[in-house]
Amino acid sequence: MNCDIVPIIPLGIVGLGAVILMMLAAFEKIHLEVAAVFSMCVFALAFVMQLLPTGPSDMAPYSELFRGMLVTNGFTKVAALIILACGFFTAMSSTSYFRQNSFCTLEFYCLLIFSVWGMLLLTMARELITVFISLEIFSLCIYVLVGYNRRSATSAEAVLKYLMLGAFAGSFFTMGTALVYGAVRSTGFAAIATFIAENGFLETPALVGGVFFILFAFLFKIAAFPFHAWVIDVYDGASVPVTGFMATALKTAIFAVLVNFLSLDAGLKGAWLDILFYITVFTLFAGNLIAIGQSNLKRMLAASGIVHTGYLLIAVIAVGDNALSGNIILFYLAAYAASTLGIFASLSYLGGQDEKRCSFDDFKGLAKVRPYSAAAITVFLLSMAGIPPTAGFMGKFYIITTAFQSGQALLAVLGIVSSILSMWYYLRLIIAMYFHEANEPFEIEASPFAPICTLILAACVFAIGLYPMVI
Amino acid sequence: MFENVLSTMIFLPVLAGLVLLMLPISQCAARRLGLAATIIILILGIRLAFGFSGAGGMEFSEVREILPTLGIQYSLGIDGISLFVLLTSALLFPLVFLVMTNQTKGCYGNLLIAQGTMAGAICATDLILFYIFWELMLLPIFFMIGIYGGPKKLPATIKIMLYTVAGSLLMLAAILYLGVAYHSQFGHWSFSAANLANLTLGGTAAVLAFAGFMLAFAIKIPLFPLHTWLPDAYTEAPPTATFVLSAIMAKIGVYAVIRFVIPTFEVEFARYALLLACSGVIGMIYCGIAAIGQKDIKRLLAFSSASHMGIIALGVFCMNIQALTGTLFQIVAHATSTGILFLFVGMLEERMGSREISDLGGIARKAPVFAFFFAIAMLASVGLPGTSGFIGEFLIILGAIKFNTAIGVLAGTTLIIGVCYMLWMFQRVFFEKSNERTSSFKDLTPIEALAFLPVILLILIMGIYPQPFIAKIEPAAKEQIASLLPAVQVANYTVLPKGQVSEHK
Repeated sequence: MNCDIVPIIPLGIVGLGAVILMMLAAFEKIHLEVAAVFSMCVFALAFVMQLLPTGPSDMAPYSELFRGMLVTNGFTKVAALIILACGFFTAMSSTSYFRQNSFCTLEFYCLLIFSVWGMLLLTMARELITVFISLEIFSLCIYVLVGYNRRSATSAEAVLKYLMLGAFAGSFFTMGTALVYGAVRSTGFAAIATFIAENGFLETPALVGGVFFILFAFLFKIAAFPFHAWVIDVYDGASVPVTGFMATALKTAIFAVLVNFLSLDAGLKGAWLDILFYITVFTLFAGNLIAIGQSNLKRMLAASGIVHTGYLLIAVIAVGDNALSGNIILFYLAAYAASTLGIFASLSYLGGQDEKRCSFDDFKGLAKVRPYSAAAITVFLLSMAGIPPTAGFMGKFYIITTAFQSGQALLAVLGIVSSILSMWYYLRLIIAMYFHEANEPFEIEASPFAPICTLILAACVFAIGLYPMVI
Repeated sequence: MFENVLSTMIFLPVLAGLVLLMLPISQCAARRLGLAATIIILILGIRLAFGFSGAGGMEFSEVREILPTLGIQYSLGIDGISLFVLLTSALLFPLVFLVMTNQTKGCYGNLLIAQGTMAGAICATDLILFYIFWELMLLPIFFMIGIYGGPKKLPATIKIMLYTVAGSLLMLAAILYLGVAYHSQFGHWSFSAANLANLTLGGTAAVLAFAGFMLAFAIKIPLFPLHTWLPDAYTEAPPTATFVLSAIMAKIGVYAVIRFVIPTFEVEFARYALLLACSGVIGMIYCGIAAIGQKDIKRLLAFSSASHMGIIALGVFCMNIQALTGTLFQIVAHATSTGILFLFVGMLEERMGSREISDLGGIARKAPVFAFFFAIAMLASVGLPGTSGFIGEFLIILGAIKFNTAIGVLAGTTLIIGVCYMLWMFQRVFFEKSNERTSSFKDLTPIEALAFLPVILLILIMGIYPQPFIAKIEPAAKEQIASLLPAVQVANYTVLPKGQVSEHK
């Protein structure tokens, strides 16, 4: 039993932190910013514990942990680190945001920690019911977080859309689980893998149907084509820190479980490869076309998130054919998380009261007034666009190389073409910030947290890019 | 410092540029700092030139592993091909800081960053490293045009950025394809140019990868019909950025074709050389004719630059020693002449507030030294015997006639177009009647004249006594052509008649 507990210490810390904060919130004993610092401490502590060498760090896909329900290996560890870092930076930048927007209460941070808890559990889950439970734990938190600004109509619209569609996806997932259970008589990943190895995948119709529904739910959560439409409105309606959190941590968690699920068996993945190919291509180009048309920054970032989902799907398709590819998804997620969180951190202090600055035009001339903020945003945008020597470039480099290596040359070239298209909307913000005169003084009243956060993340963008060279 | 001379030449200007951008110093101090940095680079460059043996192969190499799992190296080196491109850049940059005194601090900072990153692209012998510098060198130009450019700067910036990024991203795909192909053929990763040259490529994939590389370089050079970004970008850019674009950056495109495309894609290159050569000639004639009709002197020079890049590119595609030597020679010749022509135009604009040819006139009487220097640079640009331009263009046309008589004759006869627009422009700007605007024009100060003098002398020396330059260029050119010759025979269409091939052996 003892050895079962050790690998989930970070999970315990986060859960305990959430409960403590909820208690404190119930009696309203602490100040909002103390709660933010508290949650940052919780994430930091869990992050450090996660770094400690507890449990195996190899890539063993299954373990006997909690009767095979969970597993900790190198992959889940890094995924958890990314999620914890996302939580940390979200909590950090939200303090500046809530200096200018007053709808925050203590529960905001409770929900944030709880959702991180659910995501951590999801990365480790090796059993469909566990997956469903952790999926719902963080989904429920995020529904509330999206609609946190009760007075805003767009926020209400966003939460309604997300809740309805999310509920659909959740029910599809349970449907799939039921079908899989009917075929395999177990919901454990190990048992499913054994079953497929013995009986073949396409030979069992119930299994095919079940996996179809499960993939449907995952693709909805990562906003892949054709389930991408909700993303724009939901990201737009949620408050800036929440949008940043959803775009990064949520995506990391779902991709972790998606990769785990698809790598159950080569036959399972092989059966969907053709469909995934088209989904990837359409995701890339639908995201780009939507992003090109946006004038609102949050909506543009939401659409560009769809494009990044497309890149990650390229990696998902190419993964598993060689030794290199195991970590590229995590690398890309880390690179993407650093730059996306960075932009949202800057938006959370530059956005002003009630997010009054939200379009490309509102940021005209930022470089003249706040050159360091503009430089940081430029770094994030260049990283997203994949310009060297940022993390985004290395991420794309790995993904395209892996795609070539696994014989998906067409996908690699289409990925490159899509990043040419994406230059347009990233450049547009840079052009607005640098090449126009400032119309306003960009005065902000904010805690220094978010600017510091931006600075750290800008450093991270370079550090992550250089990291493979250090090891 | 001298062990890592190439690294110093790359990172010193970049660091100086970043410091300059971040520190709150005055515009004048920024210029002095930049001047100091570029002069250090020039001194290093001169030492480099004297230390260069010219025996063939890479010299001053620096190799460090940066990503051993993928075989990516920080590897630098120069040979006869890159040496002169690097030296030209080192020679011309101090000049900019000396004569362009009215630029903003940001402009100077970006200029330094551009110098460093371009040096990186010139020295890199690993393709990934090269790609990193290739992308980075565009960024300072992007900001220079966008922030300090003329009234129609926005469309110009977007055009140049999208064009070049589209090209370079497709090149990235081609580079990664080569890396994966190398891995599957040799069992380990490498992106080093020398290693990739050993690849056996074939089929559609090779042609596509070749196209990926050529597209990126053809946009940068620019080759017809990918030149449409050039007139706008050159015209709208501040004079310093135009100078960087025309004098060095366009040349890096040609250089990269010689360095990376020819050794790796011998067969494809030989097969499509005729097509590319035609595109070079068409671009030369088309841009030349377009230049005649221009009313803005900077735009005229932009088209003239594009036209000359056409003939420089033609030299690469002729695949013989004469043409290649001519191209490498002409890279230096054209960089010096066009570079300072753009600086002169920048000074004209700075002092008179107009670039319209019709607004100017009679400057020669007011500013004889200025007019004299301008004339020499202009004559070098059109290839008058006795100037550097003549030697380069003569060699290229000689090679072109050898390659394909029709193309050679066409290129040789249409050089006259260049003389037309240049001399006509010179007549209208420097002679004829002066007006109120030009009557107040001040000649070069002694310091400015002294700054220009070395470059003017270089133009004349290269024109009168080219032997020492050619002696350093030729071994490298021979090496390149030698590596290409078997491929020429292998290619489905034998481009060179058999007799000529054996002649080179």
